[in-house]
Amino acid sequence: MKCQQPYLRFGKLLGLSFVIYYLLFSVSACSSIDCPVENTVATNYAIMGADGEAATLADTLYIWTRRADGQDTLLNRLTGKDSFSLPISYAHPEDTLIFYITDSYHQETLDTVFLKKEDIPHFESVDCAAHFFHHLTAVRSTHYGIDSITIANSHVNYDQSKTHLNIYFKKRY
Amino acid sequence: MTKARHTSTSILRSAISLQLRRVLRVVLLILAYHLSLTTSPAQGFLKWQVDSVPLFRGVAIGFDMAGAAQRLLSDYGQYEVMARVNLHDQYFPTVEVGYGEAQHEDDIITGITYHTKAPYFRIGADVNLLKNKHTGNRVFAGLRYGFTSYKVNISRQPFPDPVWLWDTSFGVKDESCNQHWAEVLFGIEAKVAGPLHLGWSARYRRRIAHNDGITEKTWYVPGYGTQESTRLGYTFNIIIDI
Repeated sequence: MKCQQPYLRFGKLLGLSFVIYYLLFSVSACSSIDCPVENTVATNYAIMGADGEAATLADTLYIWTRRADGQDTLLNRLTGKDSFSLPISYAHPEDTLIFYITDSYHQETLDTVFLKKEDIPHFESVDCAAHFFHHLTAVRSTHYGIDSITIANSHVNYDQSKTHLNIYFKKRY
Repeated sequence: MTKARHTSTSILRSAISLQLRRVLRVVLLILAYHLSLTTSPAQGFLKWQVDSVPLFRGVAIGFDMAGAAQRLLSDYGQYEVMARVNLHDQYFPTVEVGYGEAQHEDDIITGITYHTKAPYFRIGADVNLLKNKHTGNRVFAGLRYGFTSYKVNISRQPFPDPVWLWDTSFGVKDESCNQHWAEVLFGIEAKVAGPLHLGWSARYRRRIAHNDGITEKTWYVPGYGTQESTRLGYTFNIIIDI
């Protein structure tokens, strides 16, 4: 029996292996689009009592801002909760939020909260929508119904398990 | 619900990756078995072949056709040359130098434009796994260390903030990034005619360290591929002994 030339056999092997290799990488080339499913970027506020412990909101809270379309409501009739979440603007250096609180005796207070931040463009892939993360640098407010607001966690990103701001309301009787 | 979807996607991806690795292992075993039949049984795989062949057997240079084809046919790819030293047809210290670029314009869904271009290098060595090392053909395994320092430009046409509705610009310009990575590779190469060789390699790449700048992630990394902690890569080389 006549043997094949070694070069010829090796050439065949190269060809065969290239076909296998091509098939393998054709499969692996079908890449998936891997954008994060949980892609909400928002600020989480925890409501605190005067004693520094978590508290439940007894009054009714409305939060407004000024938007380009003239509408203004961010949060409507919040009550009986110990936390809430608010959107954060993509690229304003400072968000201005109006907190309106009313109680069962129709006592009303109106406060303005100024939230200063750095906006960081966040990129996942060319297949994923553009988002911004934020670094909270300062927060201040008027003090009619709000006692104080403090930054608990300055980095605002996809992690919605964190509390970013603690808000202390004045004690009402 | 969204957590469950994310988890199921991750499980599916892990299962596909595991399956792919199993297929690759079977292919390697078949190739190794085939080669053991087609080559001389007198020598061991990794054993130094004791004979009169000198240690220094020359230098070869090569060009990667797969990376160039990828660049011509898609939004990213690389042009790469390699140089290697042949030590006794068994060990092949190798340097690979390339220029990778990506140019993705105004994505049809997201509107994102991504540009980068930068040189990269890899350094490492291959070992010839054939029992008879001196046939001119080789089946090889190797290791590489790779590095690139690159700048990315990412931009998007202004778009409205989803809540405040004011137009927002998004992007970074000349953001400096870098990446170190390692590769384990397996390949096969045949002597075609005279000094000309053809060969391919399949590569498992793993990121060692990376700095992706302010955006925390990038997309195409020159010489590595699109951004993941691990990647499968490939080359198809035309090699000439000089």
